[in-house]
Amino acid sequence: MSTAPATAPARESSGIRRSDLPAPVVKSSRSRRDNIHGWAFSAPFLVFFLMFLVWPMISGAIMSLTGKSLTGANSGFIGLANYTEAFADSDMWRSLGNTLYFTLISTVPLVVIALALAALVNMGLPAQWLWRLSFFSPFLLASTVVSLFFAWMYNPELGLFNDFLAKLGIPPVAWLNDPSVAMWAIVIATVWWTVGFNFLLYLAALQNIPQQHYEAASLDGAGGWRQFFSISLPQLGPTTVMIVILQILASLKVFDQIYQMTEGGPGGATRSIVQYIFEAGFTGYRLGYSAAISYIFFGLILLIALAQVFITRKRSA
Amino acid sequence: MATTTLSKPALQPEGSAESLPNRRPKTPLSRALATVVVSVLAVAWLVPFAWATVTALKSETDAASTPISWIPASGFTFDAFAKVLQSGNIPTWTLNSLFTSAAITAITLVISASVAYAISRIDFRGKRMLMGVIVASIIIPPPVLIIPLFQQMQSLNLIDTYWALILPQVIHSPMVFVLKKFFDQIPRELEEAALMDGAGRLRIFTTIVLPLSRPILAAVAIFVFIGAWNNFLWPFIATNESSLLTLPVGLQTIKSAYGIQYAQNMASALLAALPLIVVFLFFQRQIIRGVATTGLAGT
Amino acid sequence: MKQVDFRPTQVTRRQLLLGGGVLAGSLALGAGLTGCGGAAQAATEDIRFWHLLSGGDGIKMMAMIDKANADHTEYRVKPTVLAWGAPYYTKLAMASAGGRPPEVAVMHAARVPGYAPGGLLDAWDLDLLAEYGVRPEDFGPRIWEKSQFNGQVFSLALDSHPFVMLYNTEVADKANVLGRDGRIVEISSPSQFLEVSRELQRVTGKHGLSYGYLGDGAQMWRLFYTLYRQHGAEFVLGPGNPAQVERDVAIDCLEFIKSLLDNTIATKSGDGGTAIAEFAGQGSGLLFTGVWELPTMKTAGVPLGASTIPTLFGTPAAFADSHSFVLPHQAKLDESKRRGVYQFVASMLKGSLSWAEAGHIPAYQPVVKSKEYAALKPQADYVHAADIINYDPEAWFTGSGSDFQSYFAENVQNVFLGRDKATDGWDAFMKRINAVLAMPNPV
Repeated sequence: MSTAPATAPARESSGIRRSDLPAPVVKSSRSRRDNIHGWAFSAPFLVFFLMFLVWPMISGAIMSLTGKSLTGANSGFIGLANYTEAFADSDMWRSLGNTLYFTLISTVPLVVIALALAALVNMGLPAQWLWRLSFFSPFLLASTVVSLFFAWMYNPELGLFNDFLAKLGIPPVAWLNDPSVAMWAIVIATVWWTVGFNFLLYLAALQNIPQQHYEAASLDGAGGWRQFFSISLPQLGPTTVMIVILQILASLKVFDQIYQMTEGGPGGATRSIVQYIFEAGFTGYRLGYSAAISYIFFGLILLIALAQVFITRKRSA
Repeated sequence: MATTTLSKPALQPEGSAESLPNRRPKTPLSRALATVVVSVLAVAWLVPFAWATVTALKSETDAASTPISWIPASGFTFDAFAKVLQSGNIPTWTLNSLFTSAAITAITLVISASVAYAISRIDFRGKRMLMGVIVASIIIPPPVLIIPLFQQMQSLNLIDTYWALILPQVIHSPMVFVLKKFFDQIPRELEEAALMDGAGRLRIFTTIVLPLSRPILAAVAIFVFIGAWNNFLWPFIATNESSLLTLPVGLQTIKSAYGIQYAQNMASALLAALPLIVVFLFFQRQIIRGVATTGLAGT
Repeated sequence: MKQVDFRPTQVTRRQLLLGGGVLAGSLALGAGLTGCGGAAQAATEDIRFWHLLSGGDGIKMMAMIDKANADHTEYRVKPTVLAWGAPYYTKLAMASAGGRPPEVAVMHAARVPGYAPGGLLDAWDLDLLAEYGVRPEDFGPRIWEKSQFNGQVFSLALDSHPFVMLYNTEVADKANVLGRDGRIVEISSPSQFLEVSRELQRVTGKHGLSYGYLGDGAQMWRLFYTLYRQHGAEFVLGPGNPAQVERDVAIDCLEFIKSLLDNTIATKSGDGGTAIAEFAGQGSGLLFTGVWELPTMKTAGVPLGASTIPTLFGTPAAFADSHSFVLPHQAKLDESKRRGVYQFVASMLKGSLSWAEAGHIPAYQPVVKSKEYAALKPQADYVHAADIINYDPEAWFTGSGSDFQSYFAENVQNVFLGRDKATDGWDAFMKRINAVLAMPNPV
C-alpha cells in the first residue's frame, strides 16, 4: 500500500536488531540523517505522549498499589490490597453494572435510529443540508447544555415530557427521580445528543455504495425494501461493526450527562463507573483505590477491544 | 491490534459526502412518505432548542407557572439574557473555552502532523515501533488517566492554570493515524524533486506537504476543536477557580448559583451553545466532511 | 486502494483565513489575559470566597457580602457558589490539594475532621482575630468546642442551624394544643407526641405532621440523631474500631419514626418538596425541618411558631451543624490579603443579625444578646437550641452532605417505608460504617 522505495522494508526489518549494536560503520550518511530527522519530527509529539499519556499510565499503575490520598497522606505500598477491596466492593460492581446497562440500552437506539434516519434521508430527499443540520447539530452542544435542556424538560411539574404525557392522559413520571426510569431518561437525552454523529457516518457510507448495485437489482425487479435489505445492509456491514464497537467504547466512558442530570442518583441508580472513579478519588480522597478501579475499568475496555479484534478477524477470514 | 480497526475509516473519505441526492430513482410515493417521516422527526429533534429558547424569553414567573405554555402570559422578554450577561461569568468562560480550545487545536495539529509526516515519509529506526505504540494508545480511555493526571498536575503545581487545561489534551493518537494515512497518498515525486534541489525536510514539510493537506488538516482541526470545546471531565477536574472555567464546566456551576431561575438557566445554556452553532452554520460542509473523514477513527 | 482526495479546494481561502484568524486571535487574547503566565492569580485586592448557600440563604449571603464589600475598600470579596453537599466538598478538597484554593470558604463544622488533619486547612490566628474584635468568649461553649481540632481553631462558626419543629399556631389553637403564651404545649413523651399529632390531624383533615425524608439522607439522619441523643446515648466513631453505639436505643428511635409515618400522622411518601408544600398549604400542623425553611414559611403566610424538637426521651438534644468560615491551605499568602480575610470574616460575624433573619442562630453571642435579635420572632423562641446542639459523631467521613448520611439513607429508608425491619436496617448501616472505620483514614 505504501509507495515507499523498495529498499525501505528490508532496512527496517533488520533495523531493530542492528540498533542494539554499537553504531555500525557501514551505515550510510543518508540513513543516519533520516534517523535524526525522523526522531526530530517525532520529538514534539513524543514529549507530550510520554509526559501526559505514558507516564500517567505508569504512575497510575504504581499508585494503585499504594494507599495514596488526595491530601498527600500515604499509607505506603500495600500490594494488591486495593484490587482485592475493589473486587469485593458492591458499589463498584453496581456502578459497573449501571455502566454496562447504560451501554446496552444506549448503543441499540444509537445505532438503529442512526441507520433508519440515514436510510430515510438517503432516499433522495430534497434539502439534504436541512436534515443534517437538524439531526447533527445537537452533537455540537456541550454535555452541560444538553443536561440543562433535558433536566428542564424532565421537570416533574413544569417539564414538556410530563405535559405531553398529561395530554395523552398518562400520569406524570418522575423522570430523574425514579430509580427505574432515571437511566432511560439519561438514554433519551443521550440519543438526542449524539445520534447525529452515527447518522452522518451511515449517510456517508450509504452514499459510497456503488450505484450499479442498485441498478442491477432494479433490473431484477427488486423493490425499495428488498434493495435496502439485500444491498444496503450487507454493504454497510463493516461500517456497522465499526459504529457498534466505537459506540460501545464511548458509552462505557459515560460520565458527563449522568453526573450533570442526576449526580448518579437517585440512590446510586445511575452512577457510572467513571463517576465512581471520580468519587473514590476526589470525594473519598482515596487516589490509590481510585487508580485501582481505573485499571479494572481499563481491563474491561481491553477485553472488549480484544473481542472486537476477534470478531473482525473472524469476519475477514 | 487497532490497525485493523483503523484501516477502514481512512478509506472513508473517497467520494464526496456531499454526493448528489436523487442518484437513484425512487417512486414519488415512497419518497414523499420518507419526507414526511423525516420532517416529523426533524421537528421533534428541534423541540429541545425551541423549548429552551421560549423559556429563556419568558420572565421567571412565567417560566415557573403552570400549566406550561409556549406563549408566556406577560409576553416575551430578553430579561433573562440581559441578567445572565450582566451578572454571570459567561463572557469569561467563553473566552477561556476559545483560548484553550484554540491552543489545544494548534498544538495538536503541529505535533500530530509532524510525527505523522515522519512516520509516513522518513525511514528512521524504530518508526514501526513508534507507530505501533501510538496506534495501541488509542485504546486508552481518557477517564482512566484522570487520577494520575490530577496527581501529576498537582505535583507540577499546575492545578487551576491554563496549562493544566491544555497540556493533557493535545495527544490525539487517532489523528496521527488519519494524517499519516493522508500523507501516504501524496505522490512522493513532488518531494523527491525538492529533495534533489537540496531542500530540507522541514521546508518540504511546510511548503509542499502541509499546503497539499489542507482538507485533512481542516478536518482534524475541526474535530479536535469541537472535542476540546465540549470536553467536560478533564477541565472539571483540572480547574476549580471560577474565572478559569471553560463554558461547559462553568455552566455546571450556574445551576447551583441560580437555583430555580429557569429562564436564566436556559438563557445561559443557549448562550453557551451559540458559538459552535454559528461555526457550524458557516462551516457546515467542512464539519460534516470532517466527521465523515475522521469520525470513525476519532472517537 | 482508493485515493484520498487531497485537492486543496474544499476549504476556501476565505474560510481558511477566517479560521486561522479566529485561532490566532484567541491565542493572542488568551496570552494577553493570562500575561503568558498561565497561572490564575486573582488581583491582590480580590479575596476569593467559596460557599454552598443557594436559594434564600444564597440571597442573604450575597447581601452580606455586598455590605462587607461596601464597608471595606481595601479588598473585594468575590464569591463562588457551588452545589450543596458532595459537589461542593469534593471541589473544595480538590482546590485545596491543588494549591490554589480560595482564600476563605464556608464549611459545615462537622466536616472539618475530614479536612484539617490532611493539611487542607490552615488554623485561625486568635491574636489576629482579637485585633478585629472576635474573641473565644464571643461564642457559645458547644460551638467553640466544635471549632477546634487537635487544639487549634480551624473553623469560625457563623451560626448553628438546628433541626427544629415549626408549627402552625392557628391549627394548634384549634386543636387545643396551644398554650396561653401562644406557644405549643410542652410535649415530653412519645405517646403524648402521637396524641398531639393526631389532634392536629383532625383539624387539618390531612396530616398532623409534615416530614420530608425520601431520598434525603440528611433529613433522615437529622431526626434520628436528635431522638437518639435525647436518650442520652453516645455515638462514637473511632478509626480502626467498630462504632460504639447503643443498638437498642437506635432501634427504638427508628421504630418511633416509623410509627409517625403511618399516613395519618405523616405521609409515608414525603420528600422535601412535598413536606414543605403540605405545611405551607396548611395541610399539617407540624413540620420537622431545618431552621433555614423559616423564611419560606413566613413568605407563605403560615401563622408560625417554632421550637426545638420536643424532648421525648428525657435529655434535651437537637441535631445541628454550623456554617463556619475556614481557611483552605495556602502555600503562601501575603499579609495584607490575610488581614483582609480576617477583617471580612469579623464583619460577617458582627453582621450576622441579617443571617438570623434566614432562620439560623448566629454563633456570635453579641448579636444573639442584642435587642434586635430578641425581637426576631419566632427565631428567638429556639435560641436556646444552641445550648443543646449535637454535631455529627466526629470522623473524617461524617458531617452535612457526607457519605455517612448517604449510608444512613441507603439502609434506613426502607425501614421508614416499612419495607425492612428496623433491626435489619440498623445492622446493615452499622456493618457499612464499621467497614469504613476498618479502612485506613485517607485524610
